[in-house]
Amino acid sequence: MIEHDLKALEEKSVYILREAKIKFGNIAALWSMGKDSTTMLALARKAFPDGVPFPVIHIDNGIDFPETYKFREDLARKWGLDLIVARSAIKPEMSGFSCCGANKTVALKRLMKERGFKALIVSIRRDEHGIRAKERYYSLRDKEFRWDYKNQPAELWNDYTSKLGATDHLRVHPLLDWNEIDIWNYIKRNKVPMNPLYFSHNGWRYRSLGCTHCTVPLKSGARSVDGIIRELSTTETEERSGRSQDKEKEYVMQKLRALGYM
Amino acid sequence: MKVQVVTLLGHKDHGKSTLIGSMMIRTGAVTKERIREAQKISSNLGRQFEPGYILDSFAEEREGEMTIDTTRGNLVWKRKAFELIDVPGHEELIKNMISGASYANIALLVVSAKEEEGIEPMTKRHLFIARMLGIDKVVVAVNKIDLNGYDKARFNNIKIELSTFIKRIGFDVGSFEFVPISAYNGDNLTARSKKTWWYTGSPLMDVIYRMSREGDARRGGALRLMVQGTVDGKGRLVAGRVLSGTVRRGSSVVMVPGGKGSAYRVREILSNGRAVASAGTGASVALRLAGAPNGELRGRVISEAKNPPKAERRIRALVFVTDKLGGRLNVGINGLNVRCKSMKILGNIDTTTGKAYSSRKADALNAVEASLQLDQRVAIESYARLKEMGRFVLYSQDKFAGIGIVE
Repeated sequence: MIEHDLKALEEKSVYILREAKIKFGNIAALWSMGKDSTTMLALARKAFPDGVPFPVIHIDNGIDFPETYKFREDLARKWGLDLIVARSAIKPEMSGFSCCGANKTVALKRLMKERGFKALIVSIRRDEHGIRAKERYYSLRDKEFRWDYKNQPAELWNDYTSKLGATDHLRVHPLLDWNEIDIWNYIKRNKVPMNPLYFSHNGWRYRSLGCTHCTVPLKSGARSVDGIIRELSTTETEERSGRSQDKEKEYVMQKLRALGYM
Repeated sequence: MKVQVVTLLGHKDHGKSTLIGSMMIRTGAVTKERIREAQKISSNLGRQFEPGYILDSFAEEREGEMTIDTTRGNLVWKRKAFELIDVPGHEELIKNMISGASYANIALLVVSAKEEEGIEPMTKRHLFIARMLGIDKVVVAVNKIDLNGYDKARFNNIKIELSTFIKRIGFDVGSFEFVPISAYNGDNLTARSKKTWWYTGSPLMDVIYRMSREGDARRGGALRLMVQGTVDGKGRLVAGRVLSGTVRRGSSVVMVPGGKGSAYRVREILSNGRAVASAGTGASVALRLAGAPNGELRGRVISEAKNPPKAERRIRALVFVTDKLGGRLNVGINGLNVRCKSMKILGNIDTTTGKAYSSRKADALNAVEASLQLDQRVAIESYARLKEMGRFVLYSQDKFAGIGIVE
């Protein structure tokens, strides 16, 4: 797995975060309390010296891990975050496509309508999934959150080039260039607080965190950030191996994203 | 690790995605899980294993056997990291090709050696765009050499024919290297193939590796700091990126365009959340300026008083046009969207031959020399001097219609 130059990654992500705030004003970020969106917030604290200048949204289906809820409360207090919890109702029979797609997206749509955010910062990375690798830094979504992936606007030199319609919004992806190992190197260098579920407990850890219904841990002895970095340099599995919503059928991620999933 | 960014170029179906997939697999950049997935998809579609499916991820791309949009893959060769940008080769997807290629500093052009394929119009258009974008290191992979019996004459003919075009559009032919390959079978990708016994050069990965080592001339140069806008930090800070030179605490700077004679002292520089004494090329900074003007600062360029950039209302440029031009024209430059009052065509270039011709209008997929009259002054440099301030996006009726470089 390639390790990028962390300083170059940081400069570019800070640039993109500032572009989003300066150009679109009324923006928000999605925060799942995972390693990527928490790293994004650490970067936002560097981009904006007075603190993160936009609300952070947790789409809460009520079935996240207890550790995740605690981490959310602790960090929101410590970093003075403007936290919005958007509740989405979960039914016991729901999982995978119906849960991530319909359920989470509906809650976010409702919130977007209420608050009228023009841009949403989403901490996806190209190396997570082939479909996410097709994304731009600025990705247009219509009112229904649809991603017109067959006809994406041109994007040159990190600049957004097309006009935003009244009911459109942009997904802004400041971490698109980062690899999984870059995230951990950054967490190490900047001592970014992390959800304890990422670290090995009784021989198991979570490599990618979702909610309790769809995420499974992997066998691992990595009990520290250094341990995780060592583990990643030799892995033969994909980061999202433990995320069942990707695996139900081929192209589920494509369908989810086209419908507005993060 | 500094990552070398390589863009693929070439006509559709000449094997760009297959080549990237194959290079990634052969250099150990892909997990077994991802290879298994591509194998499964190939067999579900009733096809032989297709390495292109490592990057082509949309259902439509796999089923339709064509890349729709740009994407990237990473690999490491001899402890050096490369990012390969895949781009679509179809004519109607050229905006996606430019979107991808605009990030690269090395190009890998794929030309099929198959009898009925060879050098196509898009092969040349892509090279022309690379030339415009200032990519001066180009490797030509003559692909599918296995489908032509590993024929030396075919390889040489492609080399000769392309060299003429390369010269005509102003490239230095000496900076090009040609490698006969089979992306599918792996000939000459990571090791020399016996089947092309007549080829005495290095395998493709070594050629790319060598090119990336030839020093990236990094300018020190005059201070140019592009202002994005302002952010809060115990008061109003001016945020932006250092494009060249160094900004120093305590120095006096000016903003272009701006009032004549207005200089501001740099009281504080914040870089990566810390106060620093200076910040160099590539840094995203926030400056506390004594007496910074109120109002919109976006698009202005901070420099030293003794060496400011020009601020112009008229730009002379080379423009590659992707679409029909008509109605209202705008130019995206320095983070601004500026109205273009008129665009006078001074000459046309056929991008498939490199030859000049004369027409009063700009034709899609060709280039024009033009003089653009803007409705406000913007800070510019020639593209040759500082890329970031010498390039722009052209819009026709708010739709992307081309790219330009300032001469």
